[in-house]
Amino acid sequence: MYLSKRKLTPEFVKKAAVASTVFLAVAFSVLFIAFWSIQIVNNDKYKQLAIRNIMRTVELPAPRGLVVDRSGAVIAENKINFTLYLVRENVVDMEKTLARASFFSGKPVGQVRTLIDKYRQHAQFYRIPLKKNLPQGTVIFIQSRQDEFPEFEIGMEPSRTCPQAELASHVLGHLSEVSEEELAEQPSGSYRMGDAVGRSGVEKQYEPFLKGAKGSLTVIKNSVEQVQEISGEIKPQIGDTVVLTIDLRLQKYIEELMEGQSGAVGVVDLETGGILAQVSRPAFDPEVFAKEMERQEWLAISNDPRKPLQDKFLQGIYSPGSVFKIVMALAGLQESVITPETTVHCSGSQVFYDRVFHCWNPGGHGTMDLFSALENSCNIYFYNLGRKLDIDTIARYARLLGLGELSGIDLPNESSGLVPSSAWKLGTFNQRWFPGETISVAIGHGSLNVTPAQLLKLIATVALRGRMPRLHVLQRIERQGRTVREFAPEFTRVPIARENFERVVEGLFRVVNGEGTGRAARVEELDICGKTGTSQIIAKENPQYKRLTQEKRFMPHSWFVSFAPRNAPRLAVVVLIENGGDAGAIAAPMAGRIYRNYFSK
Amino acid sequence: MRDIVRFFDKFTFALLLLLALAGILLIYSAGHSTQETNHLKQAAWLAVSLAGFLAVFSMKLDFIFRKSFSVYVLLLVILALQLVVGHTVARTKSWFRLWGIGFQFSEFVKVPLALFLARLLARHKEIDGWAFMKVLAVILAPVALIVLQPDMGVSFILCSFIPLVILLKKVRPALLVIAFLLFALGGFAAWHSLLKPYQKERIVSFLNPAQYKDSTGYHIIQSRIAIGSGGLSGKGYRKGSQSRYQFLPARHTDFIISVVGEELGFVAIGTLFFVFFLVFYRQLRFNFENDEEFYYVYLFNGLIFFQFLVNVAMAIGFFPVLGVSLPFVSYGGSSLLSFFIGEAIIFRVKISNYLA
Repeated sequence: MYLSKRKLTPEFVKKAAVASTVFLAVAFSVLFIAFWSIQIVNNDKYKQLAIRNIMRTVELPAPRGLVVDRSGAVIAENKINFTLYLVRENVVDMEKTLARASFFSGKPVGQVRTLIDKYRQHAQFYRIPLKKNLPQGTVIFIQSRQDEFPEFEIGMEPSRTCPQAELASHVLGHLSEVSEEELAEQPSGSYRMGDAVGRSGVEKQYEPFLKGAKGSLTVIKNSVEQVQEISGEIKPQIGDTVVLTIDLRLQKYIEELMEGQSGAVGVVDLETGGILAQVSRPAFDPEVFAKEMERQEWLAISNDPRKPLQDKFLQGIYSPGSVFKIVMALAGLQESVITPETTVHCSGSQVFYDRVFHCWNPGGHGTMDLFSALENSCNIYFYNLGRKLDIDTIARYARLLGLGELSGIDLPNESSGLVPSSAWKLGTFNQRWFPGETISVAIGHGSLNVTPAQLLKLIATVALRGRMPRLHVLQRIERQGRTVREFAPEFTRVPIARENFERVVEGLFRVVNGEGTGRAARVEELDICGKTGTSQIIAKENPQYKRLTQEKRFMPHSWFVSFAPRNAPRLAVVVLIENGGDAGAIAAPMAGRIYRNYFSK
Repeated sequence: MRDIVRFFDKFTFALLLLLALAGILLIYSAGHSTQETNHLKQAAWLAVSLAGFLAVFSMKLDFIFRKSFSVYVLLLVILALQLVVGHTVARTKSWFRLWGIGFQFSEFVKVPLALFLARLLARHKEIDGWAFMKVLAVILAPVALIVLQPDMGVSFILCSFIPLVILLKKVRPALLVIAFLLFALGGFAAWHSLLKPYQKERIVSFLNPAQYKDSTGYHIIQSRIAIGSGGLSGKGYRKGSQSRYQFLPARHTDFIISVVGEELGFVAIGTLFFVFFLVFYRQLRFNFENDEEFYYVYLFNGLIFFQFLVNVAMAIGFFPVLGVSLPFVSYGGSSLLSFFIGEAIIFRVKISNYLA
């Protein structure tokens, strides 16, 4: 016809048709299998990847619970804090980003690099916190140029603040960032890198209540990170409010009294065992821990010889000195080795086991019975009592009255002190106990060590004539206005006859209200009972004693334990002034002022 | 006229129309999240294509084949001119604006080239060295011009004519070796002078997609995620997250098959494959009488199949991303018009067999 005249042979056409059909069938089968493998066999894998493309979950930090005093005055609350985050996914040029990050955070490039490196296990879109407490100026600078710095994000988060600064800082305790080791130990996911954790005080003790529950925000975003819709939001829940037994007004008064001093004061409400005030000086501002501390700032605090970080009330261990005479008197009476009428003559010194032991009054007190011995804190009387009692009996009574073991207060990191016994000495030094040592222990020296909290518990037990309170700082925990936990006062009975407590109380009453060592604590129309104690740093037998104690740091610590009123007692107070010298002159009047302040309100 | 209607392959035509209409719906889905109106433009182009189909279908085959050389030369001139005055779209000078409408002339080379090659093959019963050189020159002349634009996709697809010719005609092995060496040389030269950095990157990324996760390989990965996450029945029309949230690149053009896979699932993919298979099968199997016509039908079907294969393989990462669209379905008016004109000639050949 019209084109080339050659016709194709039917065989050729048939061959071409078969060949092309076979070729098509093979090619389509291959494609079919390939799509089957991707869409059907690997469907789940690609579904996950598609979701990972669009879903982003950002954690919403929970504000920490408030810590308030018994009347609701705020001890610790939260403020809004700006944090600089880095999102590696949006980094264009890492070197440039590092330089910017260094500029914004004020940290050297190397430090920023190390910080970022810690998050290498995290997904690229994870928000790495670079700097907390970002200054307002930097926040505005970054936010106004967000399109130039897509890799940086500013987060607003609640952070801890203590409106009263150093007030009650030891009770409250401090926070610090959770460490990598802790995160590794605890893979439950309740903490993330950068989270703050309570490290001491109430912040540590009630961490599970205070930390609250984190929320999260899940968004769907497109390929250029623009949020398209919010697919889910869990609101963060603020931590519970921890109501303390602390009376912030009294706390503040005592802290002012202790200004410039080094030592501890504890005040307990005898009706409940609740701590009304707990002061340890010098103190620190808990907020310095919330900030990223400069190295020097940290060294200044941690190397201060006056140990501002130590809560001396709970952790400081000291010889109880003459305060221990309370224990000796109770042990002697209960063991019937003395009666109130038993007398001892004090001539200023006495020889026991070939060694001369001195009374604090070199001239001697003359004839002493139990009451006057307590009133004047006569050492000779108690040396003799110590000789009548063996060390293990003394240790048993000391333990009954709460010494040598944790006071059980609801605060962490407490010290237990030490009550020596023959078994202890054998176990520790592999030596038997020498009776001469008992003489030193009888006046609260030797290996005996106690904390102020233990002595507060001791004097509270005496005040309550043998009902030993459980000390506590927690009154209740509230969640959204409802009380979820309340501290029920706990008392245990000490197996010492009530009349023996009455006798000791009589002695303690005379200490303040007679001619005793604690008369400086006297308050009109208030029956205060107390006992002074002087905890020697240099043994009196030391030939250098006189010269050395001219120096402040070798001066003895001063104790004063007390309660009031004598009948139906309401308050017990322990005062410890480190290197305070004469207890009657410094610790006792301070206690007096505390009573006056408390009862005059 | 009655006979024409009677012998016209209505079923195959319906399949082609189905592909084009499905394409418009898919283009709408691919663009709705960014409020694009490509589907409307494509609908207009479909109307133009059908008109083109009708116009070519009504021409005498004799006339069509005779004019193929002139049209081929005219297109070479236009392509050369385009290099000087063409619009640059996405670093490519392949667009030519005429009365406010963008034409991609490289697409129009496919039909006249197939026609002219068919004539050439009909004239040479045996392909000797001289004839083979001629065939190569006829193919590579437009390919070279299109590479310079540069439009890798179309030039690559046009090159498919070379293996098609070799498969059809018995070409002596010695010629194949020489041709291969020439190609290697040309490829080496192209790599060092002609290829743009982004094109090299595409080829490298195909060879090693993980390394190029953030550029071209990223596209392959996102396309695979789209297809794979669709599963058996898909996420629903317009509900594909990969497409909707713009993870999928070139959703309305080169990666439209990924939209099918994600939103309509394996069922739709299987159906689409079956439709294409039916089209090829029906357009190849009929009683040819004239070799020139057969060569044309063979070459043009081969070209469509090759383009289909490259496009689909590219979407699942079996082939480099070259910018090759899915025939009849992807957005692109010039391409649609060109394919419908090419098909019109096949339909005309089928009719002529009955009406002779």
